[in-house]
Amino acid sequence: MTWRIGLQLALSGLSVGSIYAIIALALAIPYKASRVLNFAQGELVTLGAYIGLVLTSYGLPYAAMVPATLLIAAVFGLLIERLFIRPIIGAPEFTLVIATFAIGLIIRALIRIHWQDNNFFLPAPYAGPALAIGPLRVNPSYLVMIGTTAALVCLLALFFQRTKLGKAMRAAAVNQTGARLIGIRVGTVFGSAWALAAALGALAGLLLAPVVGINPELGHLVVKALVAAVIGGFGSLGGAVFGGLMLGILETYAGALFGAALKEIIPFALLIAFLLVRPQGLWGTALVRV
Amino acid sequence: MRFHAALIAIPALLLLALPLLAGSYQIYLVELILINVVAAIGLNLLTGNCGQISLCHASLIAIGAYGTALLTTGWGVTYIVALPAGVLLTTLLGASLSYPARRLSGLYLALVTLGFLEVVSIAIEEFPNFTGGVRGLKLPPPELAGWPLKAAGLYYFVLGVTALAICAGWNIRRSRYGRAFNAVRQSVIVAQSLAISPGRTKLIAFCFAAAFAGLAGGLFTAVVGFIDPTEFDISASLRQITFIVVGGLGSVLGSIVGASILTLLPEALRGANEYSDVAYGAILLATLVLAPKGLVGLAGSLLSRVNGKGPVP
Repeated sequence: MTWRIGLQLALSGLSVGSIYAIIALALAIPYKASRVLNFAQGELVTLGAYIGLVLTSYGLPYAAMVPATLLIAAVFGLLIERLFIRPIIGAPEFTLVIATFAIGLIIRALIRIHWQDNNFFLPAPYAGPALAIGPLRVNPSYLVMIGTTAALVCLLALFFQRTKLGKAMRAAAVNQTGARLIGIRVGTVFGSAWALAAALGALAGLLLAPVVGINPELGHLVVKALVAAVIGGFGSLGGAVFGGLMLGILETYAGALFGAALKEIIPFALLIAFLLVRPQGLWGTALVRV
Repeated sequence: MRFHAALIAIPALLLLALPLLAGSYQIYLVELILINVVAAIGLNLLTGNCGQISLCHASLIAIGAYGTALLTTGWGVTYIVALPAGVLLTTLLGASLSYPARRLSGLYLALVTLGFLEVVSIAIEEFPNFTGGVRGLKLPPPELAGWPLKAAGLYYFVLGVTALAICAGWNIRRSRYGRAFNAVRQSVIVAQSLAISPGRTKLIAFCFAAAFAGLAGGLFTAVVGFIDPTEFDISASLRQITFIVVGGLGSVLGSIVGASILTLLPEALRGANEYSDVAYGAILLATLVLAPKGLVGLAGSLLSRVNGKGPVP
């Protein structure tokens, strides 16, 4: 393997990894706020891509379609939280896991009923022939993915450090009762965490659509994001990003060196190994006391 | 007491007389119900009694199905030997998953079992020479030591095995293992103070669940005659979970009721079959929120209200 191929692989690994990182963030934010791991997050990715598709078919230009999609997705996330999650927020873990799974199942089945198993193409203005950067040939979609993720991480860091809502979300994550006592509306925090997660999912869907197309199984890659979140440590947002990028790179190299079967197996081998040996991940704290 | 006897005798008589009363399609449906009952009893021991989340029940069924199928087609083992061998294989694989995972619970276990589900489905798809890959595996009709099992014969075989499985489930639940499962679910600390090892108990529960799943998978190959990986994906696992949640967690009767009603659901939706996943999801969600004890729990509290005994604790 020459260094050129090595670099090329690193770049495509980073781009896949940045998608994992966005979805892992979308898993970690509501988990931190409300201690609910959203197994329907993958379907929120799929849904975002389809919303983009519908808006584009109504003739919305790309620059207007993206914010509109994120907004609609955020409203959708808010609705899910309000209608289904809030009533069972204190329920046993089993109920929460299965309920979010059921929500995902319903969304996926409804999408399949309406659009069948067709693979749709979503045009993006930046998609085009590979660019030559020095000795490398780079798909512009990959650059957009990496750039968007980098920008997103900076924005989220600012949001959590500087804005009132971001600080409220951090406070509620540390101690709900305490947050309530100093006048933070914890319900608003839950709602905004879910809205943010749904918008992030939709963003991942929009970024993926020009590369892999849109079909009902798009959201399946949430399992990779779960792996990323476990590697980084749940509740650690930086860990989620790092886990996503690392998983993307590792997977790409493994695929190139040892073939597709190993590429598919690696994330789950990592998941099982991490959960058994270091369940708190690289940075996070344990999900539950075992 | 007489009421209970009638409750068992009437469905038993109906099931025994079914080949005389019903067409082949209805018999096939009842066979599917029986298979789902077997699988649901196993899952209910693990989830309902022992309180452990498992998202890989469908892959355990798949291991039983593929194990039995490969033994009969590849090695020419007769079905009646291949079936228990498949059960054994599934139990061993289930144990090898749950041994390292025995100290995990809750979300962690959900994630590990989800990972296992993915690994199994990748393994089925990546070794098409063995498993037929995504195109599936067609199987010859099973035979019992030279006698082909078909129509009524197959039906009575499945019915007999299911009856044994129900008895086994009932007895496991009332054995010291079953009581240990309940203890671990209710409080790990109390269980430990009673000299029940939570890790060992979870391991045993997982092995029982795997054995029932393997049996269901082996029966599935005989009844359907065709297996492919889409039968054993995450929606299949969720369907199993729906059976026990709707029927009633921690009760053998709940497994039977849930699996029976919900296996017939896609039939009731005939013509709108693509809605069955939506219906499953909606029923699951509604039960979790509105009646977390399931139909059996609901019936129990209704009965005790009628009898004026107050709610069952």
